[in-house]
Amino acid sequence: MSYTSPAGNFDMPRLLKFVVATIACACFAAPSAQGQTAREIVDRVDQLLRGRSSTGSIRMDIVTEHWSRTLEMRIWSLGTEYSLIRLTAPVRDAGMTTLKAGDDIWNYLPRVDRAIRVPPSLMGSSWMGSHFTNDDLVKESRIIDDYDIEIAFEGLRNGVEVWEFVLTPKPEAAVVWGSIVEEVRQNDMMPLWANYYDEDGNLARTITFSNFTMMGDRLVPALMTVQPVDKPEESTSISYEDLQFDIDITEDFFSLRQLRGGS
Amino acid sequence: MVVMIGLANGMISQMINNGTGLVTGQIQIHSPQYLPDRSVYETLGSHPNDVESLLGIIERDPAVIAAAPRVFGGGLVSSGAATFPAILMGIDPAREVEVSRIAVMKEGRLPLTGSNEIALGSTLMDWLETNLNDELVLVAPAADGSLGNDLFTVVGIMESGIPEIDGSYVLLPIDVLQSLIALQPMRIHEIVAHIDDPWDAQLATDRISIELQRDGYAVDVAAWTSLRPELREYAQLASGTQWILAVIVFSMAIFGVANTMIMATFERRREFALMLALGAAPSGIIRSVLSEAFALGLLSLAAGVVLTFPILVWWHHFPLDLSAVFGGFEIVGTFVKPVLKTEYPWAMIFFTAFALLLTVVTAALYPAVRAARLAPADVLTGR
Repeated sequence: MSYTSPAGNFDMPRLLKFVVATIACACFAAPSAQGQTAREIVDRVDQLLRGRSSTGSIRMDIVTEHWSRTLEMRIWSLGTEYSLIRLTAPVRDAGMTTLKAGDDIWNYLPRVDRAIRVPPSLMGSSWMGSHFTNDDLVKESRIIDDYDIEIAFEGLRNGVEVWEFVLTPKPEAAVVWGSIVEEVRQNDMMPLWANYYDEDGNLARTITFSNFTMMGDRLVPALMTVQPVDKPEESTSISYEDLQFDIDITEDFFSLRQLRGGS
Repeated sequence: MVVMIGLANGMISQMINNGTGLVTGQIQIHSPQYLPDRSVYETLGSHPNDVESLLGIIERDPAVIAAAPRVFGGGLVSSGAATFPAILMGIDPAREVEVSRIAVMKEGRLPLTGSNEIALGSTLMDWLETNLNDELVLVAPAADGSLGNDLFTVVGIMESGIPEIDGSYVLLPIDVLQSLIALQPMRIHEIVAHIDDPWDAQLATDRISIELQRDGYAVDVAAWTSLRPELREYAQLASGTQWILAVIVFSMAIFGVANTMIMATFERRREFALMLALGAAPSGIIRSVLSEAFALGLLSLAAGVVLTFPILVWWHHFPLDLSAVFGGFEIVGTFVKPVLKTEYPWAMIFFTAFALLLTVVTAALYPAVRAARLAPADVLTGR
């Protein structure tokens, strides 16, 4: 017997991945290296994510067929191994916290004052009904290890010089997407949109990036909206209210004690 | 053969009773869009008194013994560092025990209405390394998008013998689950009805469906035969196999009986020749032989009834339970014990009785015709 739930299965990892992806977007804002190949650009972005730390505030607006809600949260990350997300609103959910430390994901539930470990079988589900997949959240491998990357288009589109990258999974790669197509603005290396296709080549979801804003010392797309193709009336938007990079934070911060405690 | 088919029917009956009696029930009532996705939003009960009214209409059907409401949710059950996905089933304890065996506890008791108590499958208990009276955390996505979570005390352990059930089901009071997943108290996902003879389910389903439609309820009423088609198909396959076996057995019997009758009429050819010589009509000889065969068939039938019926009755009322020796086994997702219990195969009993008489008469036809065609002079003179 199988059940669909209103918010999908309980799973924080997708959000963590998205947070990481966001930082990746921020890293696109680093000075561009003219003449780089698609693989070098994507790999550079991927490498820039590692070994760095960040903190920030996020607002997430989720719209589904049955309900809409807004979550506010504070995030901390260290490389791709450690992340901590603490909900600050709505009041009913405030204090719910997710810790990713290595391969383990823990959720702290303040209502019952318990931390529960998310089983590996549920790491692939949505979080709070948002529309992210966690395809590569818990993976630590580099994008260039899993995808062949090509420039499908380079030139003027809608008055903007852009690159269009096509990421095709390598035969041995354990990824869920059949391919990913992403458009990146050339002048500041800001991503504009990314389309995710399933294994049959059908468009599954679209992520659009907008509201490019300076946060910390970088330009970032402060608003990202995920739109599932099969449910056009649904969406999840993430907007960054503030972001700081390369903060002074160590692995000790990402502990079960911190999971239960305040920030 | 009747005893063998009676035993096979007993096994099929047990399979259907176990398969429908554990969780599925014989009849289910849902919102028309609930199956197959089981969306938490597809509920019965848009008005406060709907569920009671639905239960009343369903229980008025003469075949229905009891009915119970249910709420379902998907979630996590956690104890210490162990967390597993689970099917959360909200029940009305007093009603549920009347409709399903999942509410029969191996240890402990059912959760009480209004209390944060749960009963778990034995496999899930083992995985969580927990015991009765321990405290567990349940987490479930709620209908309003939030994440329901609370502490619960384990008060019961169930064991169905089906690993998928024992490793995934968590029972809790229906009102508590409604609160956990932010579902209005009047909303439920399913009503299950229990009837005595599973094979009456379709007729009862049709009646209930008409009644509910008459009262303005747009709901989906389904019998176990459509909810568990694999069970129905297996039972039909087993039944079909029995009929094929019966045809083969009686086809073989025709040759045996015919051989016996040929020998018997051959030994009595002088008697038939004398009758013909004295003026008996050949049709009279045929009638005589066929009548004798029919009489023999009746005697055989009587002997068969005397030998078979006591065994059928005995094993029906006092089945031989071999599960202590052979354990149990699973057929199409249903736990079945090796219990030698006969069900009265009335259709097969009447078929075999009729087939027996038809067999002996058919088998006697050729010897009868041969006897009627004897040349009296040749037979009586020994030529």
